[in-house]
Amino acid sequence: MSDAKKIVLAEDNSILLLLLKFQLEKEGYKLLIAVNGKEAVDLIEAHNPDLILTDIMMPFISGLEVISHVRNKLNLKTPIIVFSSAGQEEMVLKAFDLGATDFMSKPLSPNELVIRIKKLFR
Amino acid sequence: MNETYYFIEYFKQSPPIIQVAWIFSAVFSVFIIPLIIYLNYLRWHLRKNEIVVAKYQAEYEQALVHYLYSGNEEEEISSEQQLIIDKLKKCILTPFKRKIVISTLLKLKNEISGEVAQSIEKLYCQSGLIDYTLPKLTSKKWYTLAKGIRELRQFQVKEAHDQVAKHINHPRRQVRKEMQLYMVNLFYFEGLDFLNVLKTPLSEWDQIQLLEVLQRFDNQKIPNITSWLNSSNDSVVVFVLKLAKIYNQFEQKEVLIDMLNHKNKDIVVEVISVLCHLEVFEAKEVLKNTFEQRTQEEQIAIFKLMENLYEINDEPFLLDYIYHENFEIKVSALKILKSINSYKFNFLKSSSSESEFLQIAHFIENN
Repeated sequence: MSDAKKIVLAEDNSILLLLLKFQLEKEGYKLLIAVNGKEAVDLIEAHNPDLILTDIMMPFISGLEVISHVRNKLNLKTPIIVFSSAGQEEMVLKAFDLGATDFMSKPLSPNELVIRIKKLFR
Repeated sequence: MNETYYFIEYFKQSPPIIQVAWIFSAVFSVFIIPLIIYLNYLRWHLRKNEIVVAKYQAEYEQALVHYLYSGNEEEEISSEQQLIIDKLKKCILTPFKRKIVISTLLKLKNEISGEVAQSIEKLYCQSGLIDYTLPKLTSKKWYTLAKGIRELRQFQVKEAHDQVAKHINHPRRQVRKEMQLYMVNLFYFEGLDFLNVLKTPLSEWDQIQLLEVLQRFDNQKIPNITSWLNSSNDSVVVFVLKLAKIYNQFEQKEVLIDMLNHKNKDIVVEVISVLCHLEVFEAKEVLKNTFEQRTQEEQIAIFKLMENLYEINDEPFLLDYIYHENFEIKVSALKILKSINSYKFNFLKSSSSESEFLQIAHFIENN
């Protein structure tokens, strides 16, 4: 288990967080969960994860600010997948400008997310 | 006693303004103190309620995720799933807990697609929640009815089609809107059949919502819209004209040309716009021949159409309108003339002394 890839998952929807945690842990990843952007930043700084999954709209610090912090303050190249909702197309473009690796629009398929993660780690 | 006596004496001897101030203070105290106590109680009650809701929500979230991941390929419902279903069945007996269960299911359903979303829809039926929703469709309270239809749409319950369809012409707009969204979300273009019997107006907002839903689907095969174009409900015609434009219904060109004689002039303007979009050149000749009998809005729309569909033989027609009293028609006629015959345009410009005409000509040249 010590070789398990570490993933920081930042999502303010508690049940989606629970579901993704369950699914990704089942796939053998080590999940570090955050319910807002601030917690996500703290987890990233403390654990240096292999992947970051973040929602765009979150309390305290948004997903965009998380990306900016990772890329510009911490200077990390950790892959970042962004979750966006309908009508957040401009935010997705901003996320890519800031250095996001990929995005998934909600409603999202957990199985598709697993496939994308596996592809990123390949 | 002495203090009371002293206070009464002080009050009696005080100037009237002070007496009024004391009376007001007393009256306000009588109202404000109980109000503060009530607000404190309300806050305490709401916080307590929030804690209870959060506790149940966390419990149901765990149960739902457990349900979603405890299935197997051999059985339709595994024994673990059945235990969760039984537990939920007990919980939903009380309306308070039922509401939390529904909000928990929706909280995940709105964020998830694919197999997981379908499992949630299945759980909605298996847990018996649907049995509490279906009776809402016969409720006399419009908001209960609207909420019932919305819930059936959110959980994709197609079986309630006939019961929902009964409310096509419900007097309340909110109920009609929910009915329309149910039909289109669950049955796509086939759901638009309600347009055949819709007697009430379809508002601009309703139309936008329906179009937004329709454009989300992968299958963009639109049914025959001829009967809707001939609908006696003008709002239905306006909506279907939008469909004709978005889905490039070129095969409807004969019907659209016939509609140029529609009694509603706003619809005629819309029809001209659709014909322009579909580039139906035959319509231009019909419109040119009836130009003088048309309203000014229609005439402006005709020139907009001609800006898109002009031909060299339009020149004589255009020359009749380059000095038209309406500014938009005049600009449009000159713009098309410049595209068809720039020599003629330059000649008219150099021979004219009218300042407004020259200004328009300069504007067209520079844009």
